[in-house]
Amino acid sequence: MILAIATGLLGLLAMSIPVGIVLFLLGFGVDQFFSAFPLLRGLGNLVWSTSNNATLIAIPFFVLLGEILVRSGVATRTYSALDRWVSWLPGGLVHANVATATMFSATSGSSVATAATVATVAMPQAEKLGYDPRLFSGAIAAGGTLGIMIPPSINLIVYGFLTQTSIPQLFLAGLIPGLALALGFMAITAAICMVRPELGGTRRTFPLAQMLRALLELVPIILLFTVIIGTIYRGWATPTEAAAVGVAGAMIIAAIFGGVSVRMFADSILGTVKITSMIMLVVIGASFLNFTLASAGLGTELQTLLDGMGLSPMGLILVVVLIYVVLGFFIETLSLMVVTIPIIVPLVVTQGFDPIWFGILMIVLIEMALITPPVGLNLYVVQGARKSGKMGEVMVGAIPYVVAMLIMVGLLIAFPSIALYLPSVLSGL
Amino acid sequence: MEDRLLKTLRRLNHAIALLTGALLLSCAGVVLADIVLRQVGSSLGGTDEISGYVMAIATSWGMAFTLLELGHVRIDILRGRVGQLGRALFDLSSMLVLTGTVTLIAYKCWPVVARSIDNGSRANTPLETPLALVQIPWFAGWIWFAVVAWLTCIAAALLVVKGRFETSEAVIGCFGDDTGAGT
Repeated sequence: MILAIATGLLGLLAMSIPVGIVLFLLGFGVDQFFSAFPLLRGLGNLVWSTSNNATLIAIPFFVLLGEILVRSGVATRTYSALDRWVSWLPGGLVHANVATATMFSATSGSSVATAATVATVAMPQAEKLGYDPRLFSGAIAAGGTLGIMIPPSINLIVYGFLTQTSIPQLFLAGLIPGLALALGFMAITAAICMVRPELGGTRRTFPLAQMLRALLELVPIILLFTVIIGTIYRGWATPTEAAAVGVAGAMIIAAIFGGVSVRMFADSILGTVKITSMIMLVVIGASFLNFTLASAGLGTELQTLLDGMGLSPMGLILVVVLIYVVLGFFIETLSLMVVTIPIIVPLVVTQGFDPIWFGILMIVLIEMALITPPVGLNLYVVQGARKSGKMGEVMVGAIPYVVAMLIMVGLLIAFPSIALYLPSVLSGL
Repeated sequence: MEDRLLKTLRRLNHAIALLTGALLLSCAGVVLADIVLRQVGSSLGGTDEISGYVMAIATSWGMAFTLLELGHVRIDILRGRVGQLGRALFDLSSMLVLTGTVTLIAYKCWPVVARSIDNGSRANTPLETPLALVQIPWFAGWIWFAVVAWLTCIAAALLVVKGRFETSEAVIGCFGDDTGAGT
C-alpha cells in the first residue's frame, strides 16, 4: 500500500493536478483498493467537520493581518528604519533584508507573504547601492522563510491541528530556533562579505539622531507582536482569538500611518479569501486521506516495514530528514507538510520523540524546501519582484542560507532543548 | 460566448469573495468583542462555535474564486517542459479531474445536510444551533464550486478547441498574476 500511495502521489502531482485534489484522489484509491469498508460514505461528514473548526479560522485572520501591513506601506517604513541600524555591518543592506524579514515573520504567519513583502521594498535599493544581486536576493528568499518559524505561524497551526499538539506550545518552541536562524543568516552574510567585500555593496553609517528616530518606525510592528503573543500567554485569548486581535491591530496601524483606502482594503480581503481557500482545499484533502489511511491500517504496515529495516530511533530521524530534503526539492511546502504528517509523525512519536520538537524540526526542513530549486516558492517570489536578471542568481544566492538551515537541523537533533526549553519553562499553558 | 461566460463568472466570484471577506471580518469583530467582554467578567458565549461555522462557510464559498484566480496550487515539473499545446492539454485534463472530484465531494456533502434537516438536529452546544441553518449555506458553497468548475471547464475547452491557447492559459493555467499566495 505504501508503495502504491507514494507512486500515485508523485504521478498525480506530476500531472499538475491541484495538490488538494490529488489528496482526495489518493483517498478514493485507498478506499477502493485497500479498505474493507466503504469509506467514501464518510466523505461529507469529514469535509464538514474539518472546515467547521474554530482553530483554523486563525488562518484567514493571520493572512489578512499580513496583507494589510504589506499593502498599507508599513513594510517600506520598517525596512528603511532597519537599514539605519544594520547597514554598518559587512554586507550592509543585506542584513536589513534579513532583519526586516525577521520582524515581519513575527506578525505574519506566512513565508511567501514575508518574502514578497521584503522583496518589494528592498529590490529597488540593490542596484542603486551596488550589491551583488545573488547574495542580496538570496537573503530575501531565505529571510522570508522565517515567517513560518517565528510565531505566529500558519504552518504550525496546521501542524498542531493535524497532530493534536498544543499550538501555543508550538509557537513558543519556534521562537528561539527562529531567532537563532535569523542571527545565523546574518553571521553567514557578514562572513561572506568579509572574505569577498565586493559582494556587500557600500557599508553606510547613519548619525545617531537618525538611528533613534528610526526606532520610532519600528514601534508599531513590535507593539503588534507583543499584543498578539501577549494576549495568548496572558491567557486572555487563544491563538485563534489573538489572530483577530492582530487584525484589529494591523488596521489601527495602517490607519495611523495613512495607508488605508477602500481599494487597499478590498485587495487585502480578496487576497485573504484566495489564500485561505487554497490552504483549506489542501487541509481538507489531507484530512480525508488521513482518515482513509488510518482506516486501511497504514500504521501497522509502516511499523512492520520499519521493524524490518531495523533502524534505531536516531537512524529513523536521519532517514526522515533525508526524505524531507529530497521531497523539498520538488513539492510545494504546505503540501509537503500536510501530505507527510499523517505518515511520518506517528512513526516518529512512537519512537519516543517529542511531537513539539519534531514540529519545529519539520519547519526548518520545510523552510529549506522553500528555497531549494526547482520547486522553491520563495525563489520565484523574489525573482518575480526583481523583474530582471536570471532565476539562477537567486538560487545561487540562497545556497549559503541553506547551509545555515542544515546546521540548524543538526543542532536541533543534537540539542532538542533549543526548541523545548521555552515550552518547558512556560508550560502549563 | 466563452469570453462572456468567463467574465460573468469572474464578476460573480469577485463579489462573492468580498462578501466572504466581510463575513470573516465580522467574525473577527465578534471574537474581539468576546475577548473584551471576558475581561470585564461577561461573555457572548459560543464564539468558538460561530467561528467554526464561519470558517466552514467562508471556505466553501471561497473555493470557486480561488479556482478562477488560479490559486489552487499545482506543480508544473512536467507541464513546464512542454509546448503551448501540451500545456493546454495538461491544464484541461487537470481541470477535468478537479471538476469531477469537486462534483463528487458536493454530492457526498448532501447526506450530511439531509440528515440534519430530517432529524431537525441541533448542535450539542449552549447555542443549540439548528445545524441545517449553517450546513445549507456551507453545502451551497460546494455546489457553487462544482458549478463554476463545470462552466470554466466548458469555456476552457472551447478556447483550446479554437486554438486560443494564451487565453486558455490565463483561465486555467498554473500561475495567477498575483504572487501574494501561500505560506
